[in-house]
Amino acid sequence: MSAVADEATQAAQNVLVNSVVKNLGSLAARAWAKHWIITLTAPTGVGKSTAVDYLERTLPFEHRVIRCKNITTRYTMLEFMGLAPGEKWKKHGRNWLRASDLYYRIVERVSERPYLLIIDEADRLRMDRFEMLRDFWDDARLPMLLVGNEVLTEKINRQHERLFRRIRVRFEQRPLREADLRKVLEFMGYEMADEEFALLWKLVGGSPGFAEALLENANEIAASHGVKRGIEALEGAVRYFPTVRK
Amino acid sequence: MREIVRRALQARPELTAELYRRGMFRREEKAEFPKQNKVSPQPLGPVQFATLLAQADAQLAAPAVLRGVLNYEELRWLDRLLGLAKRSDKREELARAVERTMEGRKGNVRSRR
Repeated sequence: MSAVADEATQAAQNVLVNSVVKNLGSLAARAWAKHWIITLTAPTGVGKSTAVDYLERTLPFEHRVIRCKNITTRYTMLEFMGLAPGEKWKKHGRNWLRASDLYYRIVERVSERPYLLIIDEADRLRMDRFEMLRDFWDDARLPMLLVGNEVLTEKINRQHERLFRRIRVRFEQRPLREADLRKVLEFMGYEMADEEFALLWKLVGGSPGFAEALLENANEIAASHGVKRGIEALEGAVRYFPTVRK
Repeated sequence: MREIVRRALQARPELTAELYRRGMFRREEKAEFPKQNKVSPQPLGPVQFATLLAQADAQLAAPAVLRGVLNYEELRWLDRLLGLAKRSDKREELARAVERTMEGRKGNVRSRR
């Protein structure tokens, strides 16, 4: 079996293919096929980044994934998109490269050999970076899938009207349903009594991310008392999350 | 009283004690701590510690990150938990500090205002 196929099989084993993964996958295929800009927004902790990780390893067409951070700048994006692995951006001396040179190099390469650009946590991007994405679409018809929380929609609607008009599909992913959350948590290896799950559901709704953080805290509390996790440990962990306390 | 000590004393007692136990404070800062805040009843686990820091005053958590009292696993959890928490300017700065530390960089982490 080839290395790529091997990796895809492994990815399939590590991730539960739920509605978030399926929706993201079909949106990615659509963006790629039609050269569209598509956004997927969902509340924090639903499993967007996990789904992006899964897609990164399994998509059958050319794609690149940028995981945004607070420290992501225009330059780090250009470096990622324009330089080959191991290649350095010469900013001084002979053969130095301006940001605009790198930009046009990317446009040229994308026009010759397009790929789908997936941006995870796109809500963290700042203004100039959104404008640069619009330029990439205008100049090279670069298909894009922007993934983020509700802030992404707000930001684009309010501040980037021209990018907003170029987005063809805006998909809002709902939080997981009760049965789906239980399935995901069990897939992640958390065994729970019904009362534990009922408390979790009451506190975090359909957010496996929050649930995982609570369960991990509860595990540590239980371990420090030398017992197995139970409802008391979970209630103890809730003290650490004043925002989810109800 | 020094600002960092004041902030530490206002945090949850188990967090203050854990930070003290991990040697976050300098000698002159330690001298300003009341005795009862120096005792850690039980060391915190990595997720508990990261959770408490994510909920704590960002101006206490940021020096903790920059003074290197967290290991990589704790930083990873703190980064995740900050993503789950409600955003504010101070938390954004803290997230920047965490990201830079995870990448092995240090120094001024301020973003342009």
